[in-house]
Amino acid sequence: MSVHPVALLLHGFVDATARLGLDYRFVLSDYELEPFLQGALTTVEIAFLTIVCSLAAGLVLLSMCRSRHRLLALVARGFIELTRNTPTLIQLYCAFLVLNMLITQALQGSGIENPLKPFVWVVLVLSLHKGAFHAEALRAGLDAVPKLTLEGAASLGFDRRTLLWRIQLPLALRFALPALTNNMVELVKASAIASAIAVGDITYASIMIWTQRDNVLELMILILLFFGALTLSVHIAGRWIEQRLRIPGYGHQ
Amino acid sequence: MDISNHGTVLATRKLSVPLWLAGLAVAALALHYGATHATQNSPTLASFVQWTPALLHGFSLNIMISVAAIVAGSGLGLAVGGLALSKSLLGMLARAWVHFFRNAPWLVLIYFTSYVFPFELHLGHTTLPFPDWLKVTAGLALPASANVAEIFRGAVASIPATQWEAASSLAFSRRQILFTIILPQCIRRMLPPWMNLYAIVTMGTALSSLVGIHDLLDTAQIAAGTVNRSSFTVLTYFAALGIFFAYCYPISRITRRLERRYQFD
Repeated sequence: MSVHPVALLLHGFVDATARLGLDYRFVLSDYELEPFLQGALTTVEIAFLTIVCSLAAGLVLLSMCRSRHRLLALVARGFIELTRNTPTLIQLYCAFLVLNMLITQALQGSGIENPLKPFVWVVLVLSLHKGAFHAEALRAGLDAVPKLTLEGAASLGFDRRTLLWRIQLPLALRFALPALTNNMVELVKASAIASAIAVGDITYASIMIWTQRDNVLELMILILLFFGALTLSVHIAGRWIEQRLRIPGYGHQ
Repeated sequence: MDISNHGTVLATRKLSVPLWLAGLAVAALALHYGATHATQNSPTLASFVQWTPALLHGFSLNIMISVAAIVAGSGLGLAVGGLALSKSLLGMLARAWVHFFRNAPWLVLIYFTSYVFPFELHLGHTTLPFPDWLKVTAGLALPASANVAEIFRGAVASIPATQWEAASSLAFSRRQILFTIILPQCIRRMLPPWMNLYAIVTMGTALSSLVGIHDLLDTAQIAAGTVNRSSFTVLTYFAALGIFFAYCYPISRITRRLERRYQFD
C-alpha cells in the first residue's frame, strides 16, 4: 500500500512537534486543515484587495484635500481626522453592525436581500482607514517636491493638471514610498480584526480549531509565522519598488 | 513656513484650547438638555441616558489599561532599546525582540496573552492572581515596548555623533556623556512620537472587548443587544466612536504642536 508523500510529511511534522510537547494533530484532519488553509488564503485576499483599494482611497482623499472647493476639502479633512483618531474595530462595528443593519432594513421593505457580506465590509473599512494614512503620507510627499522643480516645469509651459500628474505626483510617490510601505505592513497586521465579524480569515479559523482542541499556543505560533511571512513579503516588495523608482542623488545607497 | 503664516498658526493655537473646551461645554449642555427634556418624548434617548454611566465606566477601564500598558511598555521598551544599541549577543536578542513585536498583529498578541498566560502566578509560596485586564495590558505592553525601543533608537540616532566626540574631548566619561548630554536631548525628541504611541495604544484597548473585558465597546454591544432598537444601536456605536475621538484627538493635536515647535530648534 502506498502512502501519499504529503500525508507522510504531515505525519512526520506532527510526530516531530509532539516530541516538543506541541499538539499539531489538527493538520491530519481534513475537516480542520481545509478551513485553516482557506483562512490563510482569505487573509491574503483581504490584504491584497485592501492594499489596492486603500491606495485608490488615499488618492481620492488627497485630491479632495487639495480641491479648490472648500467644503470638499473640509469633508476630507474631517474624515481623515476621525478615522486616524478612533479604533479600527469600532469603525468596523459602526459599518457592519450599524450601516449594514440599516441597509438590510431598508432593503427588507422592497424584498431584496442585502448583497454586502462581512468580507466586503472588512475590505471597505480597512481601505478607507488606511486610505486616510496614505493621503497624509502622499501629502507630505507632495510638500517635499522642491519648489524649483515645479517652477522649472511651469516655465516649460506645463499646465496645472499635467504638472500634477507628470511631475509632482511621480516625485511625491517616490518621497512617500517608505511611509506607504509602512502603512501597508500596518494594514496586513490590522486585517486580523476581520475575525471579529466572523470573516473566515486565518485568525477566525484558528479560533475555531483551538476551541475544539485547546491548542492555543500551537496555533499562535502558526499565525505569528504566517503574519511574519506576509509582512516580510510586503516589506521586501516595498523595498524593491523603492529601488526601482529611486531618484539618483536622493537618499543613501 | 514664513513669519506671517507662523503668526496665524500661533493665533489658532491660542484659540484651539478654548474652542475645544467650548465644544465640550456645548456637548455637556446638550446632554443635560437631552437628559431632562427630550427623554420624556424619546425612548431611545431615555435608554441612552440610562446606559451612559455604564458606557463611561467601560471607557474608564480602557483608560486604565492604556495607562498601565504604556507605563509597562515604556519601561520595558527603554531597557530593550538601550540593549539594542550594543553589539553583544544581548543586543542582537533585543533587536530580534523589536523586530518580532513590531510585525505581529496586536489582536493576535492579545489573544496570545489572554489564552496562553495562566490565570494565577506562583511566586515561591505566594499565589498572585493574574486577572484578564492585566493579561490584555501585557498583550498591549509587548508591542508598545518594541515601538518605544524603536522611538528611543531613532532619538539617539538623531543626535549628531560629533557631540560624543566633543564631549569626550572635554573629558566626560562615556556614561556621563550618555546621561548628562545625549539622553536629556533624546527625551525631548521622543515626546511627540511617544504621545502618538500612547494614542495608538489607547485605540488598541478596544480590542480587549474581543477577549471578554467589559470595556466601552463591550458595554456598547451589551447595551445594543439589551435595548434592541435600531435607533439606539446607531446612537450607542457612534457614541463609542465619539468618546474615543474626544480622548485621542486632543492628544494628536498636542503631538503635532510639539513636533512643529521642535522643528524650529
